Amino acid sequence: MSIDVEVLEDSRHHRYVLNMGPQHPSTHGVLRVLLELEGEYAMELLPVLGYGHRCHEKIAEFKPAKSFMPNTARMDYLGALIYNQGFAQLLEKAAGIEVPERVEYIRVITSELNRIQSHLLWYGAYLLDLGAFTPIMYAFDDREHILDILEDVTGSRLTYCYARVGGVSKDIDDKFVTRTRAFIDRLRSRFPMYEDLVNGNIILQKRLIDVGELTPQICARYGITGPLLRGTGVAYDIRRAEPYSIYSKFDFEIPTETKGDCMASFLVRFRELEQSLRIIEQALDGLPEGPIMAAKVPKKLKLPAGDYNSSVEAPRGELSYYLVSDGSDVPYRLKVRTPSYSNLSVVPEMCRGMLLSDVVSAMGALDLVIPEIDR
Amino acid sequence: MDINKVKGQWQKLSTAIEDVDYSASGYDYSVSLERDKVRDFAALMLAEGFYLVGLMAVHVTPAIEVVYQFAHVETRCRVMARAFVDEQVEMPTISDIYQGANWHERETRDFHGVVFVGHPYLEPLILPEEDVDLKPLLKEEAKLKDVAAVRRQPPEPAPEPKAKPEPKPEAKPEAVKSQEQS
Repeated sequence: MSIDVEVLEDSRHHRYVLNMGPQHPSTHGVLRVLLELEGEYAMELLPVLGYGHRCHEKIAEFKPAKSFMPNTARMDYLGALIYNQGFAQLLEKAAGIEVPERVEYIRVITSELNRIQSHLLWYGAYLLDLGAFTPIMYAFDDREHILDILEDVTGSRLTYCYARVGGVSKDIDDKFVTRTRAFIDRLRSRFPMYEDLVNGNIILQKRLIDVGELTPQICARYGITGPLLRGTGVAYDIRRAEPYSIYSKFDFEIPTETKGDCMASFLVRFRELEQSLRIIEQALDGLPEGPIMAAKVPKKLKLPAGDYNSSVEAPRGELSYYLVSDGSDVPYRLKVRTPSYSNLSVVPEMCRGMLLSDVVSAMGALDLVIPEIDR
Repeated sequence: MDINKVKGQWQKLSTAIEDVDYSASGYDYSVSLERDKVRDFAALMLAEGFYLVGLMAVHVTPAIEVVYQFAHVETRCRVMARAFVDEQVEMPTISDIYQGANWHERETRDFHGVVFVGHPYLEPLILPEEDVDLKPLLKEEAKLKDVAAVRRQPPEPAPEPKAKPEPKPEAKPEAVKSQEQS
């Protein structure tokens, strides 16, 4: 550990070390942070990772690439469908498989629903960290509708395994479309309520404004992406920068703020809910008929030798799969670059000299999902 | 960012630059580096506004290869920079240039045993401290492949076995050309 407790005791009597986590409620999972405090101020922070490490990258080297799909959902359990989509795209790219148009629409609709439920959970849980109990009840109420809708088509509520190489496992029906449209209207009608109840609240503003400020330069040095980067004024979204799937067909905005503090990323995420709804709406309007599986997907999917990359915009930032293939159906090496990993690594620099209660604000704004950090 | 200008600067540092088909491979350029140029390359990328997506190692013969991935926030430009470690499995750190590399390098030390020289705190990150020598992502002898086996193969004219012997001589000068240009 970089914090040498004995040295501290000898030289600086007024400093002490506090262990936050791995069971601390505001770390949302098994993350441990060693804090060196000077009174109420955090002087050094050392995140300790690996409590939930399963070595997915090693598992990937032992079975056919297709069979790795369920593992992708176990990394970011809140963005499982987006992780599915990214991995399916990787294999389709490597094997040169054309995906039917309907499949792309279904993937976009379900991925955006997934993004909304991830943001809603963050919204409720973040405010809970800050001491507001009520909003999580409202957010979970809305989120529950999405889980019900997705459960019908995917069969699960959290760790989805819906995408297949070349398609999806089950077609969506009229009931799905009707329910999704009803949900869009419902969530839209709730936005003014959220804004009245939460966003304008003076206590929330005092906790978030000017806390945990980031700049585009810090983001570049640490590889921070997603809403945190957009909160610093950089309109970078993989869906727009490297349009995968059919995102280039849709009209949506990339919400940005300029200040880079916790309030900025808070507002960016909140506005992204509306943009995801817009994408879903357009996708439902344009949903074509057709097959939900590519015509020729070999049972043994051999990937030509070489390396392949597939990047998608996950709820927390850039997710990249990098696959090195030796020509067989089993990956030679698979690297999963998860957004929270890079986003969390800024904590020692960002939180230095902060009040302990602000550390909770700043770390909540990162929207951490620990299993994707540990993998 | 002017990509031609940046490529000119890469040329001074790299041994080879390959233009990669984005639609087939998902990235734009593959840059091969010597070990001692990695830090210069990283400093150049930071100055040009690239961010570090991540870095990882691949266990191949003759040596472990470290792959750095960069991307740009303004224009689509995704770059894979590669370099082989030396006999002591060492690689210079870039964690003072890109602080985000700090954890990626510690993870690579955990999984492959690559020692990043100059790293401020190269302790186990993901694995427990007692597993410092486990190196779980190293390949067994039987599964270890040569680096040529995991490289993109030139497109074979296999579907047309009766084709004229022209494609081959054509393909070769092209490959040489692209290297010269880059």
